[in-house]
Amino acid sequence: MASAAAGAVAGAAAPFWRAAGMTYITYSNICASLLRSCLKEPYKADAASREKVHFAISKWAQGKPEKPVIRSDTPEE
Amino acid sequence: MAMAALRREGRRLLLSPITPNPSSAARSAMSISPEQSAPIGLRSISTQVVRNRMKSVKNIQKITKAMKMVAASKLRAVQVRTENSRGLWQPFTALLGDTPSVDVKKNVIVTITSDKGLCGGINSTSVKVSKSLFKVTSGPEKETKYVILGEKGKVQLIRDSKGSIEMTVTELQKNPVNYTQISVLADDILKNVEFDALRIVFNKFHSVVAFIPTVSTVLSPEVVERESEAGGKLGDLDSYEIEGGETKSEVLQNLAEFQFSCVLYNAALENACSELGARMSAMDSSSRNAGEMLDRLTLSYNRTRQASITTELIEIISGASALTG
Repeated sequence: MASAAAGAVAGAAAPFWRAAGMTYITYSNICASLLRSCLKEPYKADAASREKVHFAISKWAQGKPEKPVIRSDTPEE
Repeated sequence: MAMAALRREGRRLLLSPITPNPSSAARSAMSISPEQSAPIGLRSISTQVVRNRMKSVKNIQKITKAMKMVAASKLRAVQVRTENSRGLWQPFTALLGDTPSVDVKKNVIVTITSDKGLCGGINSTSVKVSKSLFKVTSGPEKETKYVILGEKGKVQLIRDSKGSIEMTVTELQKNPVNYTQISVLADDILKNVEFDALRIVFNKFHSVVAFIPTVSTVLSPEVVERESEAGGKLGDLDSYEIEGGETKSEVLQNLAEFQFSCVLYNAALENACSELGARMSAMDSSSRNAGEMLDRLTLSYNRTRQASITTELIEIISGASALTG
């Protein structure tokens, strides 16, 4: 992504995650799920239910959809 | 015994007028047969048709009433979450401003619709707004694309804007809306779509009967920088002191990504609320219509039933008087 490259090159000491290609969103999601796994048992199950991911995404090229990719239960991307 | 003879006479007389005028007499006769359990004979069209219709309308009414209750109960839970999520993007708007009139080259319209139907007109209004936004933002050297969330929007936009669709996302409603899911989606959009400005189209939830189609604009970090040079609200960003080893563009980039994620989360929640509210009112009016239809059918059913009884009585009596007179 253009702005990621710009962030890595132009900025002084780009953070490690930006240099690895992650966006801020991914970074904060990983931190959040680390935090959720620190919880004790009853709350842990509640928090885990808030982390469920499921959707089917399909990119289009020239007016035709390609095969949809299903993203399921991968809270971290 | 005499009555039995009279009845038999009456029935024989009834058989002849059947064929020229089968409709009311025959329908009425069939209605008598199961109630009086008397073997009548040849009758064709019946109140059976009307009765079947009444049964199915009643079932539909029950189903729509149940759907309304379900939507109402779900709405209460989602409404609380929506109002809480409004606090996520308000600071962003206070800091970076929401400038729908910004003029950029690459626009991406993110349309949020539902996967399921029977929710009134909200999906069509979202699609209408997206289409007019598309017209407004396209022009020479400008490029506008769609990212569609939800089946209903996809179906409607496929029909005439096939070539401008960048991505479609479905099956989002399998799990209740949560931030993780939306942020993964936002991440996908950020990674795969080139944009200068993102315009998110959704139905904002004002009350159970009022949903307003809204457009939220999120700018990409480069555009934010450009606007901040130009002055205005964004120009005040320089007056903030930035801690840590990051530069302003770094911070802006993080902020822009996070802003997109938060705004998308809020938009998805508001749209879910609006969908439930619209479904509630649609199912409510549907059950009311079914009730009215049921009333009308009942009236016509009773009328034909009574007419048939009267006709049969007349035939019997005229048969009897023909015998005696």
